[in-house]
Amino acid sequence: MRWNNPFWWKSSLLSWVILALSLTILSQSATAQDEGNLYNTGVDARMGERYFQRQCSRCHGQDAKGGDETGAPDLTVNLSGASNDAGVYNIIRAGIQGTAMLPVPEDTPDSTVWQLVTYINSLRTDPANFDLPGSPSSGRMVYAGKGACASCHMINGQGGRLGPDLSRVGEQRDPDEIKTSLTDPGETVSPRWWTMRVTQQDGSIVEGLRMNEDTFGIRIIDQDANLWSFHKNQIQSYERVQDSTMPGYAQTLTESEIDDLVAYLFSLRKEN
Amino acid sequence: MKQLAILLLLFTFGSLSLAQELREGPVTPAFTPVSWERLVNAVDEPENWLMYSSTLDSQRHSGLNQVNTANVTELEFKWAYQIPEIDRAETTPLVVDGIMFITEAPSNIVAVDAVTGRQYWRYDHELPDDLRICCGRNNRGVAILGETLFMSTLDAHLVALDARTGNVRWDVEVADYAKGYSKTAAPLIVKDKVITGIAGGEFGIRGFIDAYDAQTGELAWRTYTIAGPGNPDVSSWSDDSWETGGGASWITGSYDVELNLIYWGTGNPGPDWNGDLRLGDNLYSDSALALNGDTGELEWYFQFTPHDVHDWDAIQVPILADIQYQGRERKVMMWANRNAFYYTIDRETGKFLLGNPYALQTWATGLDSDGRPIRVPGTTPTYEGVVVSPSIGGGTNWWSPSYSPQTGLFYVNAFDGEQKFFKRDEDYEEGQRFTGGGGQYIEPIDTYNSAIRAIDPSTGDIAWEFPIQPRTGAGILTTAGGLLFSGSVDGFFYALDASDGSELWHKSLGQRVHSAPMSFAVDGKQYVTVAAGNVVFTFGLPE
Repeated sequence: MRWNNPFWWKSSLLSWVILALSLTILSQSATAQDEGNLYNTGVDARMGERYFQRQCSRCHGQDAKGGDETGAPDLTVNLSGASNDAGVYNIIRAGIQGTAMLPVPEDTPDSTVWQLVTYINSLRTDPANFDLPGSPSSGRMVYAGKGACASCHMINGQGGRLGPDLSRVGEQRDPDEIKTSLTDPGETVSPRWWTMRVTQQDGSIVEGLRMNEDTFGIRIIDQDANLWSFHKNQIQSYERVQDSTMPGYAQTLTESEIDDLVAYLFSLRKEN
Repeated sequence: MKQLAILLLLFTFGSLSLAQELREGPVTPAFTPVSWERLVNAVDEPENWLMYSSTLDSQRHSGLNQVNTANVTELEFKWAYQIPEIDRAETTPLVVDGIMFITEAPSNIVAVDAVTGRQYWRYDHELPDDLRICCGRNNRGVAILGETLFMSTLDAHLVALDARTGNVRWDVEVADYAKGYSKTAAPLIVKDKVITGIAGGEFGIRGFIDAYDAQTGELAWRTYTIAGPGNPDVSSWSDDSWETGGGASWITGSYDVELNLIYWGTGNPGPDWNGDLRLGDNLYSDSALALNGDTGELEWYFQFTPHDVHDWDAIQVPILADIQYQGRERKVMMWANRNAFYYTIDRETGKFLLGNPYALQTWATGLDSDGRPIRVPGTTPTYEGVVVSPSIGGGTNWWSPSYSPQTGLFYVNAFDGEQKFFKRDEDYEEGQRFTGGGGQYIEPIDTYNSAIRAIDPSTGDIAWEFPIQPRTGAGILTTAGGLLFSGSVDGFFYALDASDGSELWHKSLGQRVHSAPMSFAVDGKQYVTVAAGNVVFTFGLPE
């Protein structure tokens, strides 16, 4: 009956308009607009770090590099779910529905959330914070020429396959870390780049970089970019044979060439 | 002609798939009520999996032997159930007379036909947005008595559901979630009571173990896991630190019918990594508790890690068995602790019988004659960080171990990790994390060893090990078919020969196995089920 009643329709329509307006206002007040972060000093970053260590580090790690056990993402690189400060704020404030990323308690002050945003920003390598001695354009010449880096590394789809893709290395490493990997590449080698030697049942040997290993198998890529997959119960043995295939450049490049190369590599980012 | 061929093809494949779906003989109704007597004698009906750890002694040993060392290589996929909420499934399903009850993240449950994985009903528990949970949105299982299921929820409620329909019979608040309490573990039925623990050890709670009347949901008794006023053991806490002392009870315990004792593990003292404000042994954190089955009164305790500052909860399922020890049969409890030591304890008295490291550890030179650790100086967390083994995750964790009466061996998933442990000054604030520090790996996770280790409980010696790469987080099932089933973080589900650890079968399930396998039978056919990622997989032999 009431579907035919014009008064019901009018009052119902008015209710919906009021509800829609209320929801719009609520949603605006519940999320941050991109008006800039007013809590962005060094002190704010330290306050944000304190909150992070207490509330967030269990999943994201003490160093915010993500949790292998929890699956929480690395916060020191560009965040896939938020492109600006307001986006990060909104994730912290509202959580990510349907995931283990819960919202902060409702009574958490806005200032605390912004300080957390400031701390997370401070974890990423902002080029503006670095005054590097080298020249990126000269470094590019060293990369392509004397350094012969492209024989092993790719940048934007061009180059070799025997080292990490460097297209966005500036987002992932700060200049000091890049310099260390040039002068002392054996210091830390990710398991992905370990060289493995596999001895097959017939005694033949295959060496290559460790792409992945699990309980029952190991997969490697050899010098010729051949992909191999071995079942552990069908080989004689396997072992790690050397720390790093990356040559050290401390002796072969001058100090200024290394500075240039660092400046070039640090400039490699998504926006470039 | 072409149409006829298609029809024939459809008919042929239709008949084949029907043949796979149909059971032999007439269909009979599934499910009959689960009495306390059935739970006591669960070992006599191996076709069902009636409680979280299969039997009250928690041996996780299935009496089924249709799948065995001779034919396990023939295991094939039967069905998968996709949990709609994307998260890490840690469930051990129950199976009662052909119906499987699967718990899901965050606090939901579904009842399915155990042969096909198809749904009867589901229950989605309504949760507040601002949960206070430590380590993910988990639910590990349910308990059943009569026609009622009992489930813990993340907002620290205990819910009773009609097992035939999923309708709510009662729903009680166990504790205030806003203060940091939550619940993830399957309850344990003892007689007519639902025994259940609490989580929240990282939020400065005071832990307890509760018993609720299964019919009404009324609280029958509560035993605090942290000594308080009126208990002389409160002197093991400096000042008022017992008030925020942690001691969560977030995994399911066991029960000895003859001794009428409930056995339950307790978690870390709070704050986890800064012990400066809670000097003393911090009783009864990191302990095995033996409670009277009727009153909940504490009969004895055994503290594995006095004054823990590394977050090594004694949150492991206690395994009970009668074994030969030094020439005579002893009623023992077997316990591979997060602190990397394995213990055999007399479960009548709580007396320590033996203990050995089963995983890499650098914090103790050994155990004294009472089982108390002899600590290595300089292993307490500092502001700058100190490297200690095992890691925060421990030599093992909550992952269910198993004991096989066939082999007489105890099986545990072990991790030889290390971490840099930090301490931090922190004041307690209600509902906020209260951990006082943390830990960080110093090497890539792939550099550490993991293994299934088989331990002789009469000596504490490791009988064999099967290496896992890179790491494990799954529980273990043993069977009368001579098998050991488990999983790995790299997404494998596998079967070993329980007698010597030799590899017999494995299958990649594509996502980490963070649950414990279980086995059941319907219409005379044995199945094995495990959750990986957010999918529940069931395997069986070919038709």
